[in-house]
Amino acid sequence: MFDQNGLSLDQAPPVQVVFGLFLMGSLFGIIAGLSLFYYRTDIYDFSSTAAIVMTHLLALGVMMSFMLGALFQMLPVIAGVVLEAPLPKANIIRFLLFSGVTTLLLGFVYHAPFLFLFASVFLGSALLYIGGIMLIRLRKLSHHSASSKGMLFALSSLCILVLLGLYLALTHAQLAVGDYFLQARKLHYNFGLFGWMGLLIASISFQTVEMFYVTPAYPKIISHYLPMGTFLALLAMAFATVFSPAMIALFQPLLYIGLALYGLITLLRLSQRKRPLADATIWFWRTGMGSLVLSMLLLLVAYFTEADALLPSGAVLFLSFALSVLFAMLYKIIPFLTWFHLNSQGYLTTPMMHEIIHPKTAKKHFFIHFAMVVSLLLSQTASWIIFAAAALMLLSFIWIGYQIWHAHKLYRHTQENSEKFDMGMMEGVS
Amino acid sequence: MIVSQYMTPEHRACDTLFARAENLVAGGDWEQAEEAYMVFANDILLHFKKEEETLFPAFEKQTGNQQGPTQVMRFEHEQVKGLIGKMAGAIEEKDKDAYLSLAESMMILLQQHNMKEEQMLYAMCDRVIPHADREVLLETMKQEKL
Repeated sequence: MFDQNGLSLDQAPPVQVVFGLFLMGSLFGIIAGLSLFYYRTDIYDFSSTAAIVMTHLLALGVMMSFMLGALFQMLPVIAGVVLEAPLPKANIIRFLLFSGVTTLLLGFVYHAPFLFLFASVFLGSALLYIGGIMLIRLRKLSHHSASSKGMLFALSSLCILVLLGLYLALTHAQLAVGDYFLQARKLHYNFGLFGWMGLLIASISFQTVEMFYVTPAYPKIISHYLPMGTFLALLAMAFATVFSPAMIALFQPLLYIGLALYGLITLLRLSQRKRPLADATIWFWRTGMGSLVLSMLLLLVAYFTEADALLPSGAVLFLSFALSVLFAMLYKIIPFLTWFHLNSQGYLTTPMMHEIIHPKTAKKHFFIHFAMVVSLLLSQTASWIIFAAAALMLLSFIWIGYQIWHAHKLYRHTQENSEKFDMGMMEGVS
Repeated sequence: MIVSQYMTPEHRACDTLFARAENLVAGGDWEQAEEAYMVFANDILLHFKKEEETLFPAFEKQTGNQQGPTQVMRFEHEQVKGLIGKMAGAIEEKDKDAYLSLAESMMILLQQHNMKEEQMLYAMCDRVIPHADREVLLETMKQEKL
């Protein structure tokens, strides 16, 4: 009649699962910062190796690692979906994802077909395996919230994005003819940026914005229909690509408008919050949503006027959207998880959230991150500023990596040095 | 009326009271903060009481299971009660940083807990508790006092 596991205390995966993936995301971010010193403003030429490498470093290395870590943590809470044996699963995913991203990037750099073959095997197996498991478990739910339904569409987009990516990689590996290479690449980016990244962030935010800041709920037209509408528009684009390319023009602007509306509503909700204390996470959210709205507007204008010069700024602002929301979530998730696990395990001297990461630390990171986004935007007119952007990107990911490492160290330290109290009757469930 | 329609607004009301106390602490208005905090603490404890003494037993009676979801909810109530005590201590000592830090944990813990109840447990209660019994238990909960 009901899934009791959905309400089990065991539902929270061990911190190592989440922190391990988060640390890997930070590592790829550090590599992205270093790569930016090397590639500089070449990244703004979208047909260049520099652009492809940076895009995959950030979208696949950074965002995928963090997003999977967040899903491991949030699926049980938001949707009541429990993944059995989360630690072995996360370890396999980490190994495959790390190997896959590395071989893929080297494949792009050296144009070596065999590297694309390895990347296909590693990334295809990792992402289809974990995406598939999460999707199947979510589909079985009898009660869906706006968030869990949105996650369904995000994970479906992930699977399609990976299949398209496999087709592209196998074409690079000279194992596929690649008649539809250009079309598949366009769909790959659309499903990746709007379907997977955009919808996952939106779906999670439908609950977390309300939950962290005590805001009114999102309007149903956004929380219930945006994910489905976006996914249907993406599917329609995929069909149009094969059967009627002229129809694509109908759907692409819809994606931009949908996400822009979501961004505007989120900004409005943040302004209506009942907890008016403005910590750094609020500023990360505002920056993220402001960037999303601007990014979508630029892409929309560029789409109708063919002003391709606007595209790099659109891309930088989309990156700002993804990273800003990511950091906003991390500054809540990392200290909470550390505190929550220790508290649940019954330690007497559990560090408080502000002792794990002080709000001032998050605020300093916000300035670094914001300066990085501004530098990236300015570097398109004054190319030397790209060095500042690279330094700030490097610093930003070292900063967040250190926070994760430090929180984990504090967690271990408390486990080793603090006394536990007897949970008595509660032991049966803990 | 169904269980979720009655219980969910109580969660939202507690959120509002919580936010009010937090703002007063942040503004350094300790006297009013203490008052607002007491209102929040009493409301949430009354809500827990309704669940633990009326709703959960009714659910357990229907499912014949006392070790399942309701047990986990009770455990989480204990965690929240622990924090309520610590936050009261922070107000007493006028320790703003400690209060705001504890408030952060409390808010996320509470919201996670509420989410599980609203999306799973209340829905389950509405499904398994017969209509007539439900009316009685809603009436009982409305009459309940601390």
